[in-house]
Amino acid sequence: MSSRRAPRGEYIETDTGNKVARKATLVGTQNIMLGGKTVIQPEVMIRGDLIRTAQAPSQAAAGAAPNNTAVSIGRYCFLSRGCCLRPPGRPYKGAFTFMPLRIGDHVFVGASTVVQAATIGSHVHIGSKVVVGEFAIIKDYVRILDGTIVPPHMVIPSFSIVAGQPARLIGEVPEGGIDAFELRDLYKTVGNNPHPAPV
Amino acid sequence: MSKRHSLHPGSSSNTAAPPKPPVHLSSSLTIADSTLLAGTHTISLHGETVIHPRARIESHLGRVSVGRKCIVHERAVLGAAPVSSSSAAAAVVRRGGGGDGASGGDGAPAGVTLADYVTVEVAAVIEAGETVVGEGTVVGVGSRVGAGAVIGKHCTLTPHSEIAAGEVVPDSTVVYANGMRRTDKRGVAELKNKTMARQIDMLRRMIPSNPAKFA
Repeated sequence: MSSRRAPRGEYIETDTGNKVARKATLVGTQNIMLGGKTVIQPEVMIRGDLIRTAQAPSQAAAGAAPNNTAVSIGRYCFLSRGCCLRPPGRPYKGAFTFMPLRIGDHVFVGASTVVQAATIGSHVHIGSKVVVGEFAIIKDYVRILDGTIVPPHMVIPSFSIVAGQPARLIGEVPEGGIDAFELRDLYKTVGNNPHPAPV
Repeated sequence: MSKRHSLHPGSSSNTAAPPKPPVHLSSSLTIADSTLLAGTHTISLHGETVIHPRARIESHLGRVSVGRKCIVHERAVLGAAPVSSSSAAAAVVRRGGGGDGASGGDGAPAGVTLADYVTVEVAAVIEAGETVVGEGTVVGVGSRVGAGAVIGKHCTLTPHSEIAAGEVVPDSTVVYANGMRRTDKRGVAELKNKTMARQIDMLRRMIPSNPAKFA
């Protein structure tokens, strides 16, 4: 009877609509938060095991349970094949600690890109073979072109287009260019029973 | 219900796993379970070094030696086969002329040697062929170091840098922006090593180590 069983799909689809490829490498899954409707393609690597070891003083004083989230990802994000998300790390009060990596909604991460940012806003498009350095802060509606190297600690303001090695501001997102960041349609084109892309 | 057999090599007992390379692992080493060690020559990893998950160390072409307090990040490849035949030839020429004693004791023809305090970042590739990386050097994300290249002490290769085969990079060089070079005159080598020691202290507690798997 087991041969009648439907073949296992390439993706695991969760109740909240996340599509996680079976061939993705998620280390420390308990510390990775997915907001829902997020696509994780094969060969993606997320380092959830690199958690924060030094707690913020306010939390330590309140005696609250430590928040161990290493990587949090919003809704409708798309992580392309071979990209790697890892939390940034730095010395803090005499010890080395990692800090959480926060990603907003509708964020596209291209193939073979390595992201070590502190914060990525919503509606951000990161091309392929990009390196986002440690503790970079990327605001909303930003487009990072292919092959860009965003240096550590860089802050990219909203509505900018950056490119180069190291990254420089090369333009602004035009007035009507906001809809291009929407990833709902892209989300439907992958998964175990994908819909064709709208023409 | 019969047990489904995995297609992955080595995960089931009846498939012949490729032979493990001879290893020389320090007792204070931190090596993640999913690290890949392959090849036929000796792989020696010295004390307090941290190897992240999914790093690949290949000794098909020669001995791979990693010094003390190094960090090898995920998806980094040490000892990759050179991409072009000219790079292999360059390595041979250099070996014939110099022979600086960097080769291992087991008559390794073309390996990789990392000194102490070396960081190999995510997805960086260091080709085999008597390649040497000096103390305190950082090989940036996705960089490629060609076969037979000799990188000096305290160099910084920014992400996606390419070092040609057989090239000699002097001490304290910073390679940035598509191959531009400058000399690092900050003199913060000691501080960098100290920070790295702290980072290693923490990573050792964070990454579950399983050296027994490779022995």
